[in-house]
Amino acid sequence: MHGPQGEITREVFWNILGPGFPTEQVLLYVIALTAFLLFFRGLYKGGFYTRLKLVMKATGTDVDRVNNPLQRFWFAMGDVFGHRKILREPYQGIFHLFIFYGFIALTITTAIVFLQADFIYPIWHVWFMKGGFYLGLKLFANTFGILAIIGILMALYRRYVIKPKWLDEKPEDTIILWFILAILVTGFIIEGLRMQAVEIGPESHMYPYIWYAFGGRIVAYLFSGMSDVSLRATHMVLWWIHVLMAFTFIVYIAYTKLLHIFMTPVNIFLRPDTAQPPIRLMPPEMFECAETFGIHNVEEYSWKDLFDQEACMRCGRCVEVCPAFNTDKPLMPRDVIQNIRTYLEDKAKFVLDADGNYHIVPDEEYTGPALIGDAIEKDTAWSCTTCMACVEACPSYILQFPKLIDLRRYMVMMESDFAPELQTVFKGMENNSNPWSIGAHTRADWAKEIGAPQLSEKGQAEYLFYVGCAGAFDDLNKRVAVALAKLFDAAGLDYAILGTEEGCCGDSAKKIGNEYVYQALAMANIETFKGYNVTKIIALCPHGYNTLKYDYKELGGNFEVYHYTEILDALIKEGKIKIKERISDLGTITYHDSCYLGRYNKVYDQPRDILQAICSTPMVEMASHHAKSFCCGAGGGRMWMEEHLGTRINQKRTEEALASGAKTVCSACPFCLTMISDGIKELGYEEKLQSFDIAELVVKAAGLD
Amino acid sequence: MNTIVCLKQVPDTETLIKIAGTTIAAEGIKWVINPYDEFAVEEAIRQKEKMGAGAVTIVSLGPDRAIESIRTALAMGADNAVHINDSGFYDKADPYATAAVLAAAIKGLDFNAIFLGKQAIDDDSGQVPAMLGEMLGIPAVTQVIKFEVAADKSKATVTREIEGGHMVVEVPLPAVFSAQKGLNEPRYASLPGIMKAKKKPVDVKNAAGLGVSDGPMIVIKEMSLPPARQAGKIITGDDAKVKAAALAKALHEEVKII
Repeated sequence: MHGPQGEITREVFWNILGPGFPTEQVLLYVIALTAFLLFFRGLYKGGFYTRLKLVMKATGTDVDRVNNPLQRFWFAMGDVFGHRKILREPYQGIFHLFIFYGFIALTITTAIVFLQADFIYPIWHVWFMKGGFYLGLKLFANTFGILAIIGILMALYRRYVIKPKWLDEKPEDTIILWFILAILVTGFIIEGLRMQAVEIGPESHMYPYIWYAFGGRIVAYLFSGMSDVSLRATHMVLWWIHVLMAFTFIVYIAYTKLLHIFMTPVNIFLRPDTAQPPIRLMPPEMFECAETFGIHNVEEYSWKDLFDQEACMRCGRCVEVCPAFNTDKPLMPRDVIQNIRTYLEDKAKFVLDADGNYHIVPDEEYTGPALIGDAIEKDTAWSCTTCMACVEACPSYILQFPKLIDLRRYMVMMESDFAPELQTVFKGMENNSNPWSIGAHTRADWAKEIGAPQLSEKGQAEYLFYVGCAGAFDDLNKRVAVALAKLFDAAGLDYAILGTEEGCCGDSAKKIGNEYVYQALAMANIETFKGYNVTKIIALCPHGYNTLKYDYKELGGNFEVYHYTEILDALIKEGKIKIKERISDLGTITYHDSCYLGRYNKVYDQPRDILQAICSTPMVEMASHHAKSFCCGAGGGRMWMEEHLGTRINQKRTEEALASGAKTVCSACPFCLTMISDGIKELGYEEKLQSFDIAELVVKAAGLD
Repeated sequence: MNTIVCLKQVPDTETLIKIAGTTIAAEGIKWVINPYDEFAVEEAIRQKEKMGAGAVTIVSLGPDRAIESIRTALAMGADNAVHINDSGFYDKADPYATAAVLAAAIKGLDFNAIFLGKQAIDDDSGQVPAMLGEMLGIPAVTQVIKFEVAADKSKATVTREIEGGHMVVEVPLPAVFSAQKGLNEPRYASLPGIMKAKKKPVDVKNAAGLGVSDGPMIVIKEMSLPPARQAGKIITGDDAKVKAAALAKALHEEVKII
């Protein structure tokens, strides 16, 4: 199809269309139409429709996922086009960026050519693809084409040479890369062949502009010795191969992880509200009327829980950061998602009839594979520390670990199927409102010596100091509670503790899956807080902090909750806590981010600022820190469970602390302090490393110890 | 197999105990199932599950609050209960009176075995299992750590814990069995179990209604807490010789043991 002769443009379908009726063009339409039909058939055959049917039958409740649609839309666009999350990992981020924009640029270019050749010219005989616009388009397509090739080569290098151990390996993973590479390379080759045949040489009016298509120009050097006949023959063969590959690729999308091209943006749009706890509340009234609790049938998840699986492209970022995976436990968050995805198709064989209609199959009649035990191993569900590293890492905003908590709920509440050591923990919480099963009447014993003010005597205080079980019962952490009380006193803070009226926050119970016990504990605390008209709370433990701040809201407890690091940081900055002498004898210091303080609540700076203010020794960061910090191993109720599988998470973190060159590890969480201190003892590092809670150091620097 | 489990509600072992006259102050106490009785409940439920038939009946003497522990046992899987809710009787009851009222409540029930803890961890009498057997005219096997019943339910083969070893005995049924630690690991009641327990039948009785008027033969005269543990004393001195002399002096004059 000739454009205007002598203009700066090119002939579309050069060397392809014969004279007369454009048979080849029609053939191309047929191929394109077939490809799109096969794509949709692929959605059906590849399982997408089947899975979607079960997604629509999901019975679990979910929050509103389409509120503030504009805000959601722009957020998703920002993430998709700005690669916000993807670029957290620079290598993968950059090659994805190159491929992504290469893909978009070439799709746009192809669309423009299509528009020109198949619509605008045949209908209106207008040729807009010429002159400066044409040259710009050439430069644009060539640049992004080359970037895409670089991206693909980087990805291939990772697949074949770097080979991270968390990378999933399916045939499609390499096929896709070779496929795209072949499409891109043949694209450049046919461009080079055409340029060699018609543009390169002083006789062509295009000769001065050939470097705008620099990729094609360079490739053309390879063919400079070929005869015109050979150039044309090779071009025609490769052109058809290129076209067929491109359309086959479209079909391939439907069968492979490439579906994420469509599903991931949708899932980002539907992303969870960060003000909502990742683990949903079970409505309290449910305990009076429901027959099952937690999830053991996959349809009991919410539609969004099940849709998440569609957006997973198996990138493995969640696996890379998972503390369970990194200590050889049978948990890979990606595989949890992928297994649920496969399981939906397995389950469909039992709940969808020949016509594709859904029927509820009662448990006693169901003979297929089980969700708990077959699709997801029990040990997998129990290995999670709820550290949220997977959720934080996921570029598709999938909630991986909450799906495991739903399974724990079923195992715990329906079947009493849990590690034997947890029974004492539950009974301790029920009878003495603490997981240690220590007599509830001793909860305020830590405060006797320093005489911390009690609300029952004081009546009213600006802040409730919620100590929590660790600060109240654990010898190591009672020191932290005492330190904080001394600091609050010294700063003249109007505060009080609840003493023996305080109860367990219930975080461990909730994360272990015992929502029933959690709610009983939470309701008791909320009632006590309200009884004293509490409005502001300072929590010692990040687990209590997070639970009181977010989870209690769902049960009607609206309080302004702070972690002690937020308060101490402010008090130091305001000069209300005076630093007498900066600590200088601890060697290099590193700070270990507690998951519930960091990833859950984005409190990263305050603890570090405090340490800067009170220590004169240098600070270093461990290999993983801030949002990528590595868990101590105690979250999600793992604090109370034996660690039988793999190696110990706390030891891995302790090793990381030592490797940073630090002599002192500081933390701001009782569980972390316990785990790191244990890690030091277990590894025999007492001479090399010591561990403190920040509050202990502040009290020392303030000369109050 | 139908079984009876006698259950007593006792203070949680971690609870702060305060003495009030000849009893303990009820205020602030967290009440739980006597841990040894919990083994008994668990064993009865396991036997029922193993045989695939039968019912577990809880029989408990105690005031209003005892219903919580009865419900817990029902939540674990017991089927029904008799609550001898008679605080007047309970407050004064000695082991004999307790056994008498339990026997009266059990008489007339259809059962193959009675399980109960080897002792209650509050008053530690440990008499009720044997007395109950006597009053019902059936054998009593104490300190059971393993229980197996013949298929025809005519007899049981039971392992008892004895000083420094085990003893295996055979006994015709029905009989009384007192549970020792090690018999089993009691289960944690499932949530559906807790919900169902709320609707399970509890037959409320009192001592007079059961025709029991046996007053206590044992009367508590006094109750006291053990003396508070004294803080340790650190012997100081310039060298080992001085310290040794100080230690000898303290042992002779303060503790009076040498």
